[in-house]
Amino acid sequence: MVAKTHEQWLANPPLASGEWIDSRIYSDQGIFEEELDKIFKHTWIPVCHESELAKPYDFRTTSIAREPIIVTRGPDNVVRAFLNVCPHRGMLIERRPSGSFMEAQPSGNPKRMTCMFHAWQFDMKGNCVYISREKEGFQDRLTKEDVGLRRLRCEVKFGGFVWVNLDDNPVASLEDWAADAFGALRKTLDAEPLEVFHYHKAIVSTNYKLWHDTNCEFYHDFMHYHNRVTGFNDAYFARKNEAFNHGHIQVGTFEVNYDQYEGFESRAGLSFPHLPPNQWYMVDLFPGMNFNLRGSALRCDIVTPIGPNKVMIEFRGLGLKKDTPEERETRINHHNSIWGPFGRNLHEDLIGVTGQGSTTLPGSESRRVLHGRHENQTIHDENGMRHYYEEWSRWMNRMASDPSKPFTAERHVEVAAAE
Amino acid sequence: MTWKYVCSATDVPKNTLKQFDADGIMLVVANYGGRFRAFPPVCPHMEEPLEESGIIANCVLTCSKHLWSWDLGTLSMLGETEKPLKTYDVKEEEGKLFALIDKELVYEFENSDGDDDDFFK
Repeated sequence: MVAKTHEQWLANPPLASGEWIDSRIYSDQGIFEEELDKIFKHTWIPVCHESELAKPYDFRTTSIAREPIIVTRGPDNVVRAFLNVCPHRGMLIERRPSGSFMEAQPSGNPKRMTCMFHAWQFDMKGNCVYISREKEGFQDRLTKEDVGLRRLRCEVKFGGFVWVNLDDNPVASLEDWAADAFGALRKTLDAEPLEVFHYHKAIVSTNYKLWHDTNCEFYHDFMHYHNRVTGFNDAYFARKNEAFNHGHIQVGTFEVNYDQYEGFESRAGLSFPHLPPNQWYMVDLFPGMNFNLRGSALRCDIVTPIGPNKVMIEFRGLGLKKDTPEERETRINHHNSIWGPFGRNLHEDLIGVTGQGSTTLPGSESRRVLHGRHENQTIHDENGMRHYYEEWSRWMNRMASDPSKPFTAERHVEVAAAE
Repeated sequence: MTWKYVCSATDVPKNTLKQFDADGIMLVVANYGGRFRAFPPVCPHMEEPLEESGIIANCVLTCSKHLWSWDLGTLSMLGETEKPLKTYDVKEEEGKLFALIDKELVYEFENSDGDDDDFFK
């Protein structure tokens, strides 16, 4: 009704607690460091897709919470993850983003990971297999047995994604942790091997949670002209936004009318296994992963927080490994026309989160950010974000609505019963 | 045991190594001062491709990765070398090199066999 004075602007809104959060959780450096330690070092993170290391001795490197990680496929076809750090003097072992160990490195040999610093070598199971001038320097005081790589918990699951947990004793197995958030999509994702056909990454000036928020709430479809013309109908608004244990949500499907958008054709011709055409499912996992299946293409976003106001987002597009060249071209076209770097929607989402990033720079004044919409857990309900921040508050032992206060359990969102 | 054609003698210049496919068997031919040896294409130490990393000087083959070396005349092991070099007999006829191949010569490499699925259990 009226503009606000400074004091009025800072006051809590007339909503229930849990229906807003304090903007310091996006801007505070200390809270950010705590998030890496308390959340990212203990939760399951998908680091890549198994098709990115398709052959024995292929590898992929990445990081979680600033810890460098290498994922390898062994001669036994098992995918394993290790800390990408040499036990000798802490050198980064492999610095390429991906490649194959079939070919020798300048100071090493084929089929081994080599630390180029002093030529120590490790096999695909993380065992140390070579120490240069071992006896001369260490006699029998230190042997290869004493210096293997740090193995990390790693599983290939939910459509072939490679999941890593830096915690040897996680609070839940990957299966239990996902809590059936993939339930409706499981058959579809696991029917056929998937394959990555698109990868790009962006470093965006915003907090990683704001990107996840954008993936969790559909109210911002008012920003997406495309979604309004191809979506907004009764079925669209009836979609359920369902919460699962451990902070995850799944958004139910409806039929998208792609041909309503000028220049687009119907996408009825190509789908995923066990799925009628033109469906649109979304799975958002705590603490920041998104799986988005629009009929013919699967998109996956993985966030790597870099600072309170900086996040690296990796975008992958996937189809079926068995696609014909024509099918693959169609999937790529469908993926890129909405989600590619020049796609219809992606840049609009980035405008949204960088705008929020500009108002939550480190040191900016604490404000309330509202998550108070209730629409019977349908698409414009903001229960997804409320559910996420409840989980966040639990892991952090800080209330998202006031991070100076310790966590107290207040269920704001009804959680789907496990099957 | 049959003599398999490998290459022309002029294909491998003096004091170099070159890899060939002799009727499905991959091998390396070494020309050491005008004489020839044929052996498996990898170093018996850690599977290093010898065509790339082998060096020949004064009739000695050295793998440049960890300096295992052999006298190509006597096939004796030199320095820190721990495994002998396996070789195929070679003959030269009318400028062509042939290797006597019964079956492919291979080395045993340390292999951490065994299921490690229970690593964290």
